[in-house]
Amino acid sequence: MPPYTPENDEGVGRRQLAAAALFLGLAFTSLFMPPDAQRQVGATLRASVLQPFILVQEGLSQNRLRSHEADAMRMRYDSVVGVLSSQSSLVEENVRLRELLELSSRATPEYRAANVVRSGTQGSESMYLLDIGSRDGVRVNSPVVGRDGLVGVVREVRANSALGVDWTHPDFRVSAMTADGEVYGMIETRRGEYREDDRLLLNGAPYHVAIEDGALIVTSGLGGIYPRGIPLGRVHSLAEADAGWRKSYWLEPAVRPGSMTQVLVAVGEVEEEHSALAADGPGQGPSVVDRSDFWPGDTIPLERTGEWTGERPASGADSIRDSAGEG
Amino acid sequence: MRGPLHFWVVIVLLILLHFLLHVGLGIGTRAPDLLTIALLLSARELRMGSAAGLGLFLGLLEDAFSILAFGANAVAMTVVAILGSRTRDLFVGDSFLFLVCYLALGKWTRDLVHWIAAGDGVQAAFVEALLVRSPVAALYAVALGIVAVLFGGILREAPR
Repeated sequence: MPPYTPENDEGVGRRQLAAAALFLGLAFTSLFMPPDAQRQVGATLRASVLQPFILVQEGLSQNRLRSHEADAMRMRYDSVVGVLSSQSSLVEENVRLRELLELSSRATPEYRAANVVRSGTQGSESMYLLDIGSRDGVRVNSPVVGRDGLVGVVREVRANSALGVDWTHPDFRVSAMTADGEVYGMIETRRGEYREDDRLLLNGAPYHVAIEDGALIVTSGLGGIYPRGIPLGRVHSLAEADAGWRKSYWLEPAVRPGSMTQVLVAVGEVEEEHSALAADGPGQGPSVVDRSDFWPGDTIPLERTGEWTGERPASGADSIRDSAGEG
Repeated sequence: MRGPLHFWVVIVLLILLHFLLHVGLGIGTRAPDLLTIALLLSARELRMGSAAGLGLFLGLLEDAFSILAFGANAVAMTVVAILGSRTRDLFVGDSFLFLVCYLALGKWTRDLVHWIAAGDGVQAAFVEALLVRSPVAALYAVALGIVAVLFGGILREAPR
């Protein structure tokens, strides 16, 4: 190492002490800055100094996808073509039936494929970068889904990238229901002793209704952020039963976020869908687009819009602490 | 031991390698914390203010990927840089054994400060974070740091 040179100049020592105190103060300032300012600093660094590393990751992800999953994608494509060709008449029939019932057209959000980049640095455990951004239609609060269910939600959007959090984020909340629509509740995250033990908790379920172990829990669509019918997990066990008025259940998550490398991001206006469908007529209640048909293997009943009465508890709306709100 | 330019080239390479492994290649937590190693080595050669500035900068780079506890890395790295710089007044030697202990304790201290700064909502259990994972991560980082020091030719004394 370079030769050691002691600080024997008292003036220099004082200046160094002052500089150290200043930088330490700035570090603590960054810790207690408003969330918006923190996000701005982080986004600036990611778009400048760290951009080359993010580009390397994106390039590697693309190459990995192309080289390893070409055959699998071909098989899926063939399957999708087969399903679509056999169901093409259903679209026409659906339109005709909706016209007969005088219902407006169903808004259908688009989903864009995105690569997930995780930094693995300390404090970044519940977040990930997406290689698509506002130019692709991604917005703050766009839902992020994987092959098996809901992964998380987008928190920040740049032109060509976005920052999302997965369900392990402490502030993650989503309104949920059983696949048959009988029981509603709120999904929360519970930290395990180890990160691998993080679990979901279905809270606020009615006390008088028992949910069987293994029952599929999906998003309810309340709150206007997450479309209805996205799998969240399966009931593992009863967590708590509060003196005769509510129950909570542990869930086995449908998605393990750490293993996600490719996801789909909803780029449609979920709230607009909400409005469009709410205009379907009286009795439809807070209906939103049902995405249960995206996961047909999970035995989610299709199209139960008629059961929505709008009498769900207000506390059942999904939410994640919004950046502009609570922070 | 080569010149100071060579030393700083190795430090920059360690920093680049850290982000290449964590972000570029997406290895994540399986990659060693070379950023802390680079900071600890630098802190021994910098005055306290400069070391704190470097620590703040590197901490903010790490925090750019943190949405849960932004600033925790900045605080941890700044504190470790200041402490590392102060060790010049306490420990003059640069023996191999001292280097190993210095890097291991520095890395553990960095994790401790980060754990404290991260806050209740984010921090893992104390035993898991600081008595299980952190020592293992420290040993891993030190091993890679020693390799970098030896092969980079920036150790003042020959290993004993």
